[in-house]
Amino acid sequence: MYRLRFHGRGGQGARVASKVLGTAAFLDGYYAQDFPLYGAERRGAPVAASTRIAEDPIMERGVIPEPDIVIVMDETLLQDPLTMPLSGLKPGGIVIINTTNSPAEAKAEYKINANVLTLGITKIGLDMLGMPILSTLAGGVAARIVGLSEDSLTEAVKKVLSSIITDKKLLDKNVAAALYCFNAITPIETKIELKTIDTNKKKSTVISLPFEPAAVSSPAINATGNTPLRMTGNWRVFRPAWNYEACTRCMICVARCPDGCILINEDGYPYTDYDNCKGCLICVEECPTNTLGKVMEVHAKKVIGN
Amino acid sequence: MLTGNAAAAWGVRLAEVDYIPVYPITPQTEIIETLAGWISNGVMDSRFVTMDSEHSMLTAAGSASATGARAFTATSSQGLLYGFEMLYAVAGWRVPLVMVNVSRGLSSPITLEPDHNDVLAARDTGFLQIHCETCQEVLDSILMAYRLAEDERVLLPIFVNLDGFYLSFTREPVAVPDVEQVRNFLPLYQPKHAFFKASQPMAQSAAVLGGSSYSYFKYQMHMASQNALAVYKEVCDEFETGFGRNYDTVEGYMLDDADYVLVMTNSFSTLGKAAVKAARERGIKAGLLRLRLLRPFPVADLKAAIGGKKAVAVIDQNISIGKGGILHSEIASCLYNEKHRPLLLSFIAGLGGKNISPDEFEFIITKMIEGEDTEDAGTAQLIYTDKEWQEMGRLKGMAGKG
Repeated sequence: MYRLRFHGRGGQGARVASKVLGTAAFLDGYYAQDFPLYGAERRGAPVAASTRIAEDPIMERGVIPEPDIVIVMDETLLQDPLTMPLSGLKPGGIVIINTTNSPAEAKAEYKINANVLTLGITKIGLDMLGMPILSTLAGGVAARIVGLSEDSLTEAVKKVLSSIITDKKLLDKNVAAALYCFNAITPIETKIELKTIDTNKKKSTVISLPFEPAAVSSPAINATGNTPLRMTGNWRVFRPAWNYEACTRCMICVARCPDGCILINEDGYPYTDYDNCKGCLICVEECPTNTLGKVMEVHAKKVIGN
Repeated sequence: MLTGNAAAAWGVRLAEVDYIPVYPITPQTEIIETLAGWISNGVMDSRFVTMDSEHSMLTAAGSASATGARAFTATSSQGLLYGFEMLYAVAGWRVPLVMVNVSRGLSSPITLEPDHNDVLAARDTGFLQIHCETCQEVLDSILMAYRLAEDERVLLPIFVNLDGFYLSFTREPVAVPDVEQVRNFLPLYQPKHAFFKASQPMAQSAAVLGGSSYSYFKYQMHMASQNALAVYKEVCDEFETGFGRNYDTVEGYMLDDADYVLVMTNSFSTLGKAAVKAARERGIKAGLLRLRLLRPFPVADLKAAIGGKKAVAVIDQNISIGKGGILHSEIASCLYNEKHRPLLLSFIAGLGGKNISPDEFEFIITKMIEGEDTEDAGTAQLIYTDKEWQEMGRLKGMAGKG
């Protein structure tokens, strides 16, 4: 059995990617199962989706704790302590990262001890679809890695997307983008033999849960708020960029920012709190003087602490 | 490839339901969204109404059913509890409403993932209950549910239960039956007792005082529910003849020659079956019994399935606070007067969708073998691992409870 886990952010298409892969596998004659897991349904929030592909009926359910293959659709998730996209990855497993870095660079950057493949699918998505939605692209990459056919991938993209979108042109673009990614991922490196070890995990022991007083065991949080520690700045695909020559300090951007991420400097000019700006670009849209433009984020490291 | 929710929607579409009052709640909403889409683009001919709460939704669904329409609705967790008053009322009207519950743990603390305290809270209402393991079973069960509920000998509403996330959002291969074939299996509902016809006025749901008439009506419901056991067998046989899939009241997995039996319900049974298979490979004669029909409770089938076994572990994915596992209590009461009753162990596992890992199943099977040796079933135990305890410690630290 192949066990794949997709990690992305709400709106990027991790759930649909796992559906595309599951459908392609089904069309190729395999048993397939796909399953997304998300908490609050919110753009930018981490989403994981699991796909299982097997020759026999699948007797597993839920999140894949020990994947053979992990597809990281958003590079910034690799640094998210709550998501931990590589957790449980089997020895000999494969990580596919959406990045413009080379596999060697990504391995060094994120200290990954596994087979790493990279492909900058956000750029491909923007070029081929005109938007940073990566579902069919990630599905195409994954389909290639597990050895599914181009025909089934094409059919799967059509099947899955036709229930979501009605724009025929966009659907065709998605088919083209999925096939592009299918063929773009370096085939030599994909010939890694997967050791599908079913029990490599250290045994977990069942314990007796001790009683604790309600001061501990009631679901109340005593610690002070930690929202400022959640740097939502790494959700951005584009960042607002400033050109102060045109700025009249009208403050429309300050008023329109839904997250209060535009602050005022000593000279009375607005500036962005890049640690928390989610990149919605409402400020760019609303600015009457073209002070604000948008620039694509490329590397996570440039975002954090900028 | 369909999710459990989409499979449920297909069941409703194929049953050619007349009236669908709805109110959204995660993880159920996809069912009503799918139906809304079909009705709006004309492939399904039903009246779809958005209500202002689950209480009014259930009132509308039950009332529609009392006019002789084929009605459907769906909810989950808190929504079910919000409409709870009407469950007893609708069942008392003796109308064959089919309702899907997508199981989700109850507040507090609030969560999204499944356990069965929501649907099991409704076990005394009069609603029948079918609990599903696969997406295919969800679709098929809705068709069977209408047949069962609309049968003259039964006429009680019914729940079809599926687990949130583990089925509701999980896609797997599902065969969608042909509508003509479904029409043969599930004919038009033609009530003789509760309908709307201007030439034949009736007052439904009369008030009673004094207890004797109340007792009469309530016990009639109980007997109708008991009738459903035999009717279920007929429906099951006919379904198998028509569609080639068999769904008995209980399902055995590697059960016939098993000494040690896990008893489970719903989608986590799949994990239990994998654990049984693994135990067999280690030379342990394990088996699994999945309860599918929970109301009426299939006492005879249950006794036949586990009578004479060495040990049985009931894995309750629910907790009756202050007592323990609900199904353990129910099964124990069935076995009390049996001569060859197995040792009966009780485990609480999978609350709020907590995974049950192969190691944890192994622990349960080992406990059965040890228990059989010492003739001691021990006390009920929560299945919880050292790693989860460590993680809980970390979370408590973050919450300022270090």
